[in-house]
Amino acid sequence: MASMSSGDESLRLCVFDLRRGQTEGQELDKILFFHPPELDVSTQLSVTGLSEGLITFTRLFSPEAACEVIEAERHSHVFYEPEPDIWMVMVVEKNKDTGAIWRIEALRGMLKEVHSLFVMFHGSVRALLEKESTGGLTRAQLYPFITDYLSTFQKRSRSEDCCCDLFVGKNLQLPNFRETTLSERGTVQMLTLSRDTALEVQSLVQVLESCAANLRCHSMILFQDLLVSTTLSPDDTVNLFTFAVMRLTSQALLSSDASSWSHLRKGTGSSETSSRSTSAPIGSIDSMHHVIRPLQNDKWKKGKDGFLITDIWGLESGGSPDSANPTVWLQQTQERVYLLAYQYKSLTSLLLLPKTDIVHGGLSAVKQQVIEQASLRIMKIEEKISRGWGGENAYHVKGYRYLVVDTDLEVSRASPSGKVATLAKESLLALNKLREEVDLEKSRAKGQERDLDICIRAKNNAWVIARVSRGKELYMALEKASDTLLDATDAVGRFSNRYCSGAFLMD
Amino acid sequence: MFCMKEKNSATTASTLGRILATCSKQAKDYGSCVASKVHEIEKDLCLKEFLALKSCMQHTTSVGSGALSHAYIQNPSLRCNVPESRGLFYDDANRLLICVTSSQVFSWETATFNPDVSPSVDSIPEGPILSIRFSLDKKAIAVQRSDCEIQFFHRETKQTLTHKCRAGSESILGFFWSDSPLCDLAVVKTSGMDLFACDSAMNLRLVETKKVNVNWYIYTHESRLVLLASGLQCKTITGFQLSTAGVVRLPKFEMTLATTESNSKPIISPGDVHLITVYGRIYCLQVDMEAMLLHTYRFYRDAVVQQGSLPIYSSKLSVSVVDNLLLVHQIDAKVVIIYDLFVDSRAPVSAPLPLLWRGYQGSDTSSQQENEGTESSTSNENIVMYEEAWTFLVPDLILDQTNKVLWRAISASSSDRSSLLEFLQRRKLEANKAKQLCLGIARTLILERRPATQVTQAIDVLVTAYSYSVKAGIYKELKNEKTTATTPTNDGASPDNERGRASGSSIDEEEVEMNLPSGSADEQQESQLSSPAISPDELYKFVFASVEEAMVEESDYLVAIITEFLRSISAEKLKVDLNIYVMTVRLLAHSKRFAELSLFTTNKIIEPSKEVALQLLESGGQNLRVRKLGLDMLRQLSLHHEYISSLVQDGYYLEALRYAQKRKVTSVRSSLFLEAAFASNDMQHLAAILRVLSELIPGFKETSEYYTFHGLLNETSSSVAV
Repeated sequence: MASMSSGDESLRLCVFDLRRGQTEGQELDKILFFHPPELDVSTQLSVTGLSEGLITFTRLFSPEAACEVIEAERHSHVFYEPEPDIWMVMVVEKNKDTGAIWRIEALRGMLKEVHSLFVMFHGSVRALLEKESTGGLTRAQLYPFITDYLSTFQKRSRSEDCCCDLFVGKNLQLPNFRETTLSERGTVQMLTLSRDTALEVQSLVQVLESCAANLRCHSMILFQDLLVSTTLSPDDTVNLFTFAVMRLTSQALLSSDASSWSHLRKGTGSSETSSRSTSAPIGSIDSMHHVIRPLQNDKWKKGKDGFLITDIWGLESGGSPDSANPTVWLQQTQERVYLLAYQYKSLTSLLLLPKTDIVHGGLSAVKQQVIEQASLRIMKIEEKISRGWGGENAYHVKGYRYLVVDTDLEVSRASPSGKVATLAKESLLALNKLREEVDLEKSRAKGQERDLDICIRAKNNAWVIARVSRGKELYMALEKASDTLLDATDAVGRFSNRYCSGAFLMD
Repeated sequence: MFCMKEKNSATTASTLGRILATCSKQAKDYGSCVASKVHEIEKDLCLKEFLALKSCMQHTTSVGSGALSHAYIQNPSLRCNVPESRGLFYDDANRLLICVTSSQVFSWETATFNPDVSPSVDSIPEGPILSIRFSLDKKAIAVQRSDCEIQFFHRETKQTLTHKCRAGSESILGFFWSDSPLCDLAVVKTSGMDLFACDSAMNLRLVETKKVNVNWYIYTHESRLVLLASGLQCKTITGFQLSTAGVVRLPKFEMTLATTESNSKPIISPGDVHLITVYGRIYCLQVDMEAMLLHTYRFYRDAVVQQGSLPIYSSKLSVSVVDNLLLVHQIDAKVVIIYDLFVDSRAPVSAPLPLLWRGYQGSDTSSQQENEGTESSTSNENIVMYEEAWTFLVPDLILDQTNKVLWRAISASSSDRSSLLEFLQRRKLEANKAKQLCLGIARTLILERRPATQVTQAIDVLVTAYSYSVKAGIYKELKNEKTTATTPTNDGASPDNERGRASGSSIDEEEVEMNLPSGSADEQQESQLSSPAISPDELYKFVFASVEEAMVEESDYLVAIITEFLRSISAEKLKVDLNIYVMTVRLLAHSKRFAELSLFTTNKIIEPSKEVALQLLESGGQNLRVRKLGLDMLRQLSLHHEYISSLVQDGYYLEALRYAQKRKVTSVRSSLFLEAAFASNDMQHLAAILRVLSELIPGFKETSEYYTFHGLLNETSSSVAV
């Protein structure tokens, strides 16, 4: 904690509104969030001031898409404008010796993710600001939210840190190239099902959704931290999936208890540290606003009836029996829905019910229906999937370290992290660099689909390969590939035919 | 003959609605009474409620011709207008209706129940006729002349033989022919049963004698079972089954009779006992008038087990079996109650309703009368339901002794939909109509937006039944019909048979085979179907496809049902017309459920096929993701030509050409690529394509296309240069 409050320079993250604080002396009003919160006001102002200046300047040339990134000698500034004139800026320190090597798109992915999650729970920042023009409410919600989100990446102590970090002082460690190179934030990882299981699951989905009588509702089913089924739009699916994997799935519950194994998404930080780190700046505001901290760790428990319960949204005793139930905002339908999570062993079923349609106490009736109509099927399907589940390394392909992204469906699949960890640092760095290049190419294409086919030989003689074809991306590191480029492309071709239904045609 | 109501369910519903509206209270009372007392059947169970409902229904149904009933008598009937007739007999072994005069025997085939069939005529010497039966090969006629004499007449050789018993000490109660290997003829006497073998010259040889004191006996050829009654009350029953496997003696058993207050001992008469065969099982039904109960017994090879009792509401009662359903005619009450003994519950399948005519219309009657001659004064109007002289023949014929008319009973019924379907699927006769009705019910269920669980249940029933019948070999595709019809299939191997084996060895295994000739006769008769089972393809065609248009606005609901249907057929490892997948894609795309559409496609819930891929491409007009799913599917199916064309169409002409080069596909018009490249105004691409094409297609450089585009290329490059 000490290092964090004493001006830890490894990460700065701010959210500010360009429409606020236009007059001299009111600049502080722009800032909606700043991390680390302890940083003195003048430093905060200098970071936002610089950012605003750059944005204003670059807008002269590119009004539609202003500044994206500034690469300074020791820092990278990542810009992201999630809502008109609402900016998120992340400043990270670069240090090759400590492995602090960042891929800008991966960092921007975090900004996107935290914003999407925020919108899912609280609605858009702009809407909050319009609701309460002083910005107090927005700040009160943003502070704990982003801090809770960042706490996901907090390492408890050095001994638990698998990526042996010499830098003891850094409690907060963003996922570095080891974790981000062969993964894609903002996508969903799917469980592959056999046809008959898929039919069973689909049937369960229908039963689940019929539990809400005639209400039009949505559902999502996860097995461990893989998606089994969803009836949400891809964007809503990604958001809810991300949240579920962070906090709701059987493994998230498990790790919040014991923080047993670390995953790039999984929170290993204890709630104790995160709450202490946020208590200082928001303590005064807290009393004025009803602050909800949906990302707060260690707050979900499995109830006796199989439904997950939490006191984040308050206690059942106060007010309407449904008010303590979590709600989320769906982009597709533009409505607020209740979130019911039913868990049986590794299977987590989420049911989303329109808030306006649920009459007083109607949720418990739905819960009862789920228990009566669906619990048996859930049990059977869990057994069926578990029997056929290949475990953590189910999607490992021998000899390959890969990442396949379908940007249309927002789905990705990658080699298991344990297997990726066996890659040499050179291979990963080379692939990381290659991904940077591809990101650049993609951003130049401005939304148009590009076809790319890049094979690079890394310093350690490994092949790193990127193949982009009509919305599908394949990244690969082949350390044991034989010498020629032909062999490497052959290997990719085989992989593509076998595991990607031939999506990546190799010459 | 089993015959379902052909009126569509809408009209049924309205008629039923009318009745239920009028008699709703009575119906409810009776229903709840029966439901509450199913386990404690006793005398006059729910009698009050029953009578109230009955009279209400009769009152309602007597108004107008659209009256409703579960059971019908089929018209036209078989009329045997033989002058000087001395009696009508029914030979159940040969299914012959026999009418005798003093010296002639007229016999009508009833197996194929054709009212216009002409009788065959045989002459026999004059004399009294107590009973008459044709031998199983129909070469001989046996006539019981008195209680000690049976005469045999050979129909071709005109040979005559007389068999007599010892007069005084014993008397002949009756006889029947048998097809067991041991004997050909069984003669039942008061002292027991004699079994005879009979050679072609009609010489009888006594094979075996079963010594039993017999008061009366009953026999049905259908069950091959003879029950010999003895004792003071005639309630001790000895049974023998003379099946093709030999003669089996059943354990002796006592029938149940309630004791009366007056202490007079009631005697069971042969009319009180009925042998019936349903689902290949043999049951004995016994009337206990004191208790007002109809006791049922089921026969196993080594045991006779009482199965429970049905209430009686009439002092006179008879039974018919129509297509494995038990019809209990409450003759005094003039209603019929239908039971399905397969169901464990003893609750009736339907509410009691009167027996009605069916197929009777004014014009029909007149034409029929013309055929038969004008002297026929018997028209349907004159016939009173449940007249005194009605005889109920095994299994489903009704003989009117006074009017000399023979009918077939038919039945229609309705109740809970999925159990109704289950029940229809067990029908063997008139499979076609049962099938049509099943399809109709399934359609209506969907169109009425019944809860998905209900529809699912119904569809499960149909799919399971189909799967079962395929496994059992009953279901045959129409095209195979002719080849397979001659080979005996395990027509009777219905689920109950397996159940029978599970619950004790069933006596009726051989019996089941016996039923075969009748089954194939029915096949020849009209319906080409041997089973009402509905294949998934037919379900798709006649249910899903036909409701699609009406349901398009509620495609979510329809998709849910289709998914359940797919799950059901997948569980039974069946296949279905791939058009159902095309339809699912259409429906999902229509309701913009693209997430599910891609899940369905990636999980192969929607099985990949060219048609599906093309539908995805078409639906993808609104959504690029969906279009890509279609493209991916084309590629996975190695439909190179379609894949390449679609790629070019979407503007990916380079990728398309790359693919064509890789797969050596030359069938796609080369101008497609060139035009696409030219349209995109990328001359580098155009040049590259020209080069690749000249490598890919031999002789491409000589084609006019090459010249055209090569010229264009030169033109533009020179203009650029300028």
